Amino acid sequence: MSDPAVRVRDLVKTFEVTQKAPGLAGALKGLFRSETSTLRAVDRVSFDLARGEMVGYIGPNGAGKSTTIKMLTGILTPTSGEVTCLGFVPWRDRRAYARSIGVVFGQRTQLWWDIAVVESFQLLREIYGVSGADYERRMKVFDELLEIGRLLSQPVRKLSLGERMRCDLAASLLHEPPLLFLDEPTIGLDVVAKANVRAFLKEANRRLSTTVVLTTHDLDDIEELCERVVLIDHGQVLWDGSLRGLRDKHLPEARIRFDLPAPADGDPAELAVGPWRAARLSPGRYLLAVDKREASAPDVIREVVRSLPVLDLAVSEPDIEEVVARIYRENAALRRPDAPPASEGAAAGIVAHRGVRRG
Amino acid sequence: MRRVRFHARLLALYFAQYAKARLAYRADFAAAVLASFLGTAASFSVVLLLFSRFPHLAGWTYPEIVFLYGFSLLPYGLFSVVSSNLWDFADRYLVEGRFDRILLRPVSPLFQVLFESFRLESLQEVATGAVAIGWAVSRLPDVSPLGLALLPLWAVFGAVIYVSVFGLLTAASFWVEDRVGLAPPVFNLMSFGRYPITIYDLKVKLLLSTVIPFAFASFYPTALALGRGEFLPYFWAVPLVAVAFALLNVALWRRGIARYGSTGS
Repeated sequence: MSDPAVRVRDLVKTFEVTQKAPGLAGALKGLFRSETSTLRAVDRVSFDLARGEMVGYIGPNGAGKSTTIKMLTGILTPTSGEVTCLGFVPWRDRRAYARSIGVVFGQRTQLWWDIAVVESFQLLREIYGVSGADYERRMKVFDELLEIGRLLSQPVRKLSLGERMRCDLAASLLHEPPLLFLDEPTIGLDVVAKANVRAFLKEANRRLSTTVVLTTHDLDDIEELCERVVLIDHGQVLWDGSLRGLRDKHLPEARIRFDLPAPADGDPAELAVGPWRAARLSPGRYLLAVDKREASAPDVIREVVRSLPVLDLAVSEPDIEEVVARIYRENAALRRPDAPPASEGAAAGIVAHRGVRRG
Repeated sequence: MRRVRFHARLLALYFAQYAKARLAYRADFAAAVLASFLGTAASFSVVLLLFSRFPHLAGWTYPEIVFLYGFSLLPYGLFSVVSSNLWDFADRYLVEGRFDRILLRPVSPLFQVLFESFRLESLQEVATGAVAIGWAVSRLPDVSPLGLALLPLWAVFGAVIYVSVFGLLTAASFWVEDRVGLAPPVFNLMSFGRYPITIYDLKVKLLLSTVIPFAFASFYPTALALGRGEFLPYFWAVPLVAVAFALLNVALWRRGIARYGSTGS
């Protein structure tokens, strides 16, 4: 196997945070003596990315995602740990490394604000030394996939968020970097624009085998684009693997929804089905959630159909948002001061839960 | 050498793109040039009025004063063209977070900050200065041709000195969170260079020739052209002072950027 595109080992970043006492007195006191505390934004993070891999880097606000990305792109210097990207140490070889990466921060444009988009592209062309022929060819592809042609003559400040994002994406790939960092690339986009951006990223990844690190709050992005997710919270990796595996481990639930003919005397809030209990969602409609480790979905369905006059039935899994929300919650509970001390691997191995849930 | 060529080409392109965008609003730009010119004309008139009362002031003739003032506009104008981002660097780049984007490009960060926007209308000062020098030369009996030929280059060194001094003050933003109050008073010191340094007392002379070397930007560069032999050593020191301050500036920015990398702010 060839060298990984990205290799991260025991990456740590701490910040000194100054505690300011409130009010004028506090401000004056702060002039002479300030209390500082240390914030561990990224705490012993390790992972490898193979070339051409597309990975979702997810976590709640303040989990340490942006700090990690800033270290991986060379903006921040870590407190300790190692990072090698494409053979570079990002913060040490920053300028040479910058030629090999593309970066999109969804919240903030990488383009020049006041000049027309096409002029920004001309500047980038010069900065990255893209030849005239390559430039023409790539711009044609960008126009086909992102429809940026008619935006080129406008200054960036006049573009809508979606238009700007398409231009930013094109700009980040103008020099065809082997490694691409995307921070919230679909934030604020409508459904159609999101679909376009995702299709574009898939295509870039397929055609150029660009390695992509994707940070996002929109887990649909991840579900559509990434085979693998790295989930962090409080600076630590809680999960590194497939989405499927994440779901099976933390919320291995099958959900069977069924409809019954409405009885004359109204239906009960809870209904026994074999050893399980279904909860009423709305009149005549029930949800039965079972832990897949305890029972197989086909068995449960058979039992439902056997024991009840079912009119209609549907099976689903918890969506990924719910899985991740649960992991965050459980991790927060573990971190509470009165929680029992976390044993090795406890953070990742969170808790099993009962099969019956109320809908 | 390749890096110098790369940055020179990039500077030309940055400038062209910015000028194109700026000239798209012609009336707006014309108004800015006019306003800038009126400002220059007003302060120039004050000097002329002041000196027209005395045909010889501290041993300087009227045309010589015009020459000095005219020259001082060259480095000052060049500095004004590129310095606009230095003033609000802390707010624009550090607070609003644009500095991250700067660090993601394979181009010197200081270069990007200086040349991302220009105050084009300040080119008017360079033109006004050149006209004033032309007039003065027609009135002065013997101006050294070599001194005259070197003026444009020395004006660039002068601009480098100004940019470096304010670059150093700006770099302080990497350490000090609050706005630094030093830049405005230092900026006011720039006007001292419009007059012959001989009219100041020793303290001012020392200040302008050492810590804040503005005399090297706008007074000493005229020594060769005006045949002021006593200042010739300073004249030839101008390139050295410019290079020394530029290196100091680059070094401080480098340390500032390293600090930014460890604190993220």
